[in-house]
Amino acid sequence: MKLTYQKRRSLYGYGFLAFWLVGTVVWFLYPLANSLCYSFMDVTPGQGGMEGSWVGLKNYRYIFTGDPYYTQYLTDVLQETALKTPLILVFSLFVAVLLNQKFRGRAVARAIFFLPVIIATGPVYNIINGDLAKTGTADAGQFSTLFSTDLVGELFQFLGIYGLDTRIQSGIEAVSNDIFGLVWSSGIQILMFLAALQSIPASAREAAQVEGATAWEYFWKITLPYVSPMVLACLIFTVIDSFTAPDNLVMGRVLALQGEWQYGYASAMAWVYFTIVMAALGVITMLMDQFIYYEVE
Amino acid sequence: MEKTAGKHHRAAGEWVWHIARGLILAGLCFIILYPLLYMVSCAFRAQEDMNDPTVMWIPRHVTLDVLRETAQVMDYGNTFLRTVLLNIGCSMIQVAVCALTGYGFARFRFRFRGVLFAIVILQILVPSQIISGSQYMEFRYGLGLQPLMAEISPQLGSAFNLINSPLTMYLPAMTGNGIRAGLMIYIFRQFFKGIPRELEDAAYLDGCGPFRTFFSVMVPNAAASFLTVFLFSVVWYWNDYYVSSTFFTNNSTMALMLKNLDTEISKMLTGNAAMELSAREQIIWMEAGCLLAILPLLVLYVILQKHFTEGIERSGLVG
Repeated sequence: MKLTYQKRRSLYGYGFLAFWLVGTVVWFLYPLANSLCYSFMDVTPGQGGMEGSWVGLKNYRYIFTGDPYYTQYLTDVLQETALKTPLILVFSLFVAVLLNQKFRGRAVARAIFFLPVIIATGPVYNIINGDLAKTGTADAGQFSTLFSTDLVGELFQFLGIYGLDTRIQSGIEAVSNDIFGLVWSSGIQILMFLAALQSIPASAREAAQVEGATAWEYFWKITLPYVSPMVLACLIFTVIDSFTAPDNLVMGRVLALQGEWQYGYASAMAWVYFTIVMAALGVITMLMDQFIYYEVE
Repeated sequence: MEKTAGKHHRAAGEWVWHIARGLILAGLCFIILYPLLYMVSCAFRAQEDMNDPTVMWIPRHVTLDVLRETAQVMDYGNTFLRTVLLNIGCSMIQVAVCALTGYGFARFRFRFRGVLFAIVILQILVPSQIISGSQYMEFRYGLGLQPLMAEISPQLGSAFNLINSPLTMYLPAMTGNGIRAGLMIYIFRQFFKGIPRELEDAAYLDGCGPFRTFFSVMVPNAAASFLTVFLFSVVWYWNDYYVSSTFFTNNSTMALMLKNLDTEISKMLTGNAAMELSAREQIIWMEAGCLLAILPLLVLYVILQKHFTEGIERSGLVG
C-alpha cells in the first residue's frame, strides 16, 4: 500500500502521540466525564464502581442554599487570589529584571532565588511556614521585634508621610508582613520572566542605546512589550497554582467531602469552582490580549 | 565642561543603583534562606536549647541525636529508596513520553491536532482533585476488570486491585498523564517549535525515519531542556503528597512521612512517658525532618543548578 507523503506524516504524528492518547482517554477524559456525571447524581461506592441515581440539579442547589461553608470559602479564596496575583507578578518581574543585569555574584543570587521552586510545592513549605508562625517569627513582625519598632510606621514618618489613609497603610503593612509568602511563591514566575527577558533580541537593545533611551524608557518601551506574552502566561500559572493548591480552603472542603464518600456533592462543588475560575481567566485573557505585543515571525 | 559634569552625575547615579540593588537582593536572599538556616540551626540543637531564651541561632548544645531519632522515625533509608524508585523512575518515563508527545504536536500536521492540543491545555487547568475520585475507582477495580478476574480466582482478583501498588504512579506516567504532565508537554512543544527544521531535513535526506530522527538528532539537541524539565518532574514527584496519599493507604513516600511526622514523633516521645512535649519543643524534630526530606533535592539542585540557571533561555519556557 502506497501512502502520500502527507498521509504518512500525519500517521507518524499519531504515532508520536500514541502513549499520551491512550493515557488521556483512560486517566483524564473518562474520569473527567465521570465527575461531571457524579455532580448530577447521588453516588455511593459499591461493588465494581460507583452506584447512584440521577438527582438533577439538587447538588448544585444545595451548594448555594444549604452548605454552611462553601460560599464563604469561595469568596475568601477569590479575594485572596485577586489580591495576591498582581503582587506576585509585579514582584517577580522586578526581581527578574534585577537578576538579568550583570553583577558579581549573579550566579549565586539566581541559584538562591530558584530555591523556592524546589521546596515550595511540598509539605516542607507548610511546616516551615507553620513553625515560623508558632515561634512568632513568620512575618515582618519578627524583623520588627528584632529592632523593637514598627518598621513600616517608622519608614512613613521618616519619609514625612503623615495621616495616610489607614486603609492604605494597613494594605501596605499586609504586604510587608507577607513578604515571606510573596518571595516563596514567586520562584517559577521569576524563572519564566527571566527566560522571557533573555529572549529580547540584541538588536532591540542596540537600537534603544543608539536612540539614547534611559533605563526607565527602556523598561516601558522595550522590556514590557517583549515580556507581555509572558505576563499573561505567568498570570494564568499563578491563578491556577493558587486555586489548585491542596491547602486552599475550597479544595480542602471538596477533599473533606470526598473523604466522607460524598462524591456527587464534592464533584458539583469542584465544578462550580472550576467554572468560576475559568470564566475569570477567560475574561482576563481577552482583556489583556489587546495589550500584548506578539513579535511577527 | 558640561559634558564631564554629566558623566560624573551618571557615574554617581550608577553607584547608588548598584548599592540599592545589592541591598534589595541581599535582603530578599536572606528571606529565602532564613527558613533553611533556621532548619539547620534547629536540627542540630538539643531539646533544652528550645527553652533557653538566649539561644537564637547558635545552639548551646550541638547534638546529632535529634537527626538520628527523626531518621529512625521516618525509616529514612527505606523511605529514601522507595521514594527514589518511585520518583526517579516515574520522572524519567514521564519526561520521555512528554517529549515524544510534544514533538508530535510541534512537527506533524494531522486531523484534530487543534482539538487534541486544547485537551493538553485542559490538562494543565483541571486540578487533579476533580478527577482523582474516578481514578481511585479505576485503580481499585483494575479498570473494571477486577470483578471479572475475581470470578476466575480470588488471587487474580486481588492482583487487579491496584490501590497501594506503585502502578498507580507508573501507569499514568507511562502514558503521559502523571503529575503536571500537561505542563511538560506544553514546554516540550514550545521548545521543539523553536528548533530550526534544517537539522531534521538533513537527517531525512540521509534516509532516517521520523523516530530515528527524533532520537538521534532532536534529543541530543534538547539536552538542556530535558534537564530542566527532568528537574521539575523530580521535584514535583518528590514533593507530591496528594496523589500518593489518595492511591496509597499506608504512608510510604518521603513527603507522606514528613506530613505525618508530628504524630509519629509524639508517638515515639510519649511512648517514652517521662517527657511532655510542647509544640515549641517539637519544632526541632519537625525541622530535622524537613532537612532530611529536602536534603536529596538540595544535593541534586546544587549539582544541576549551573546547567539549570544557564539553560533557561534554551529550555523552551518562552513561546
